[in-house]
Amino acid sequence: MKFIRFNLIVMVLLLIVSTSEAADDAFVGIVKHVEGSAVIQRKGKTLVAALGTLVLPTDTIRTEDQGTVGVVFSDDTRLSLGPRTEVLIEDYRFAPKESRFSFILRIVRGTVSFLSGQITKLAPESVELIVPDATIGVRGTHVLIKVD
Amino acid sequence: MHKWMIFTGGLALVAMISACGPKSTVVLVPDPDGYVGKISVSNEAGSVDIDHAHQRTVVRGGKTAPTEPRSIDPNEVEGLFKGALASQPPPPVHFIFYFQSDSVTLNPESERQLPETAALIQRRIPTTVSVIGHSDTLGNKDYNLELSLRRARSVRRQLVELGVPESSIEVSSHGEENPLVKTADNVANVKNRRVEVVVR
Repeated sequence: MKFIRFNLIVMVLLLIVSTSEAADDAFVGIVKHVEGSAVIQRKGKTLVAALGTLVLPTDTIRTEDQGTVGVVFSDDTRLSLGPRTEVLIEDYRFAPKESRFSFILRIVRGTVSFLSGQITKLAPESVELIVPDATIGVRGTHVLIKVD
Repeated sequence: MHKWMIFTGGLALVAMISACGPKSTVVLVPDPDGYVGKISVSNEAGSVDIDHAHQRTVVRGGKTAPTEPRSIDPNEVEGLFKGALASQPPPPVHFIFYFQSDSVTLNPESERQLPETAALIQRRIPTTVSVIGHSDTLGNKDYNLELSLRRARSVRRQLVELGVPESSIEVSSHGEENPLVKTADNVANVKNRRVEVVVR
């Protein structure tokens, strides 16, 4: 009995140690620059986008009248928004080991700067910037988009 | 008389609204290193490619193809995208660490890089740091993967010992899928057997 319990404890500890590496993989980007007011809408809730705020897939990022915000993604992609802008991260995946790559960004309105990173280098066909009435494929590197 | 005017007015309004859909402008510009990439803009009606800097295409409606690329004045670009460009974050910094053969012991040169790495991380807080193990394409995939992860964890531990908050670091491995130097399968390349620390 003691032996089994000991093994159980060891197994649980191992599980805790191994998942603590995976847990942080949930975020895909971090806000590294912000001026004025910017927010993130996530599953019906609105969060302030401040320096250090983490960004997840399916987030909507929005700036107000004077707001601008810059985000760095796990694959080095740098995305920044001008004022009165709204984008939606439809999908993001950067997992070279499993050959899983995806970056689908919908630009609803406003001005956007997209500076491509490793996903564009390793799997350019998996990058799609969607604007009303068109899709943008990116093979690199710096593209500016305005939707009004 | 009134009904007729309202009807015509209504028709005109509808015509105006349907012609006033969103307009998208897409511009390719050089990146901060001066490199110019390539983009394509497509819809049901057509597709254009842009591979020269300061060229733009405009999309108006899904039934009209994106316009042929035309030059746009860099100053006009600056003006239109001023806010977005002002919030462009600095590039992430990559540090590469190399190890002694089949070991988690760092090479002396890489060992000397640790304090500089820790110092940069501190300067960039709030930040996220990825410590990523990589291997070359030679030999047993599972073994290489496991070694690359052990090496990555070792680098994380040493950074934490130097004062970096553990919660800002995530460890992973890209296996042999993201080499520094592209090689064929089953080729040893010491440059690929590395741990990369990415600081945002």
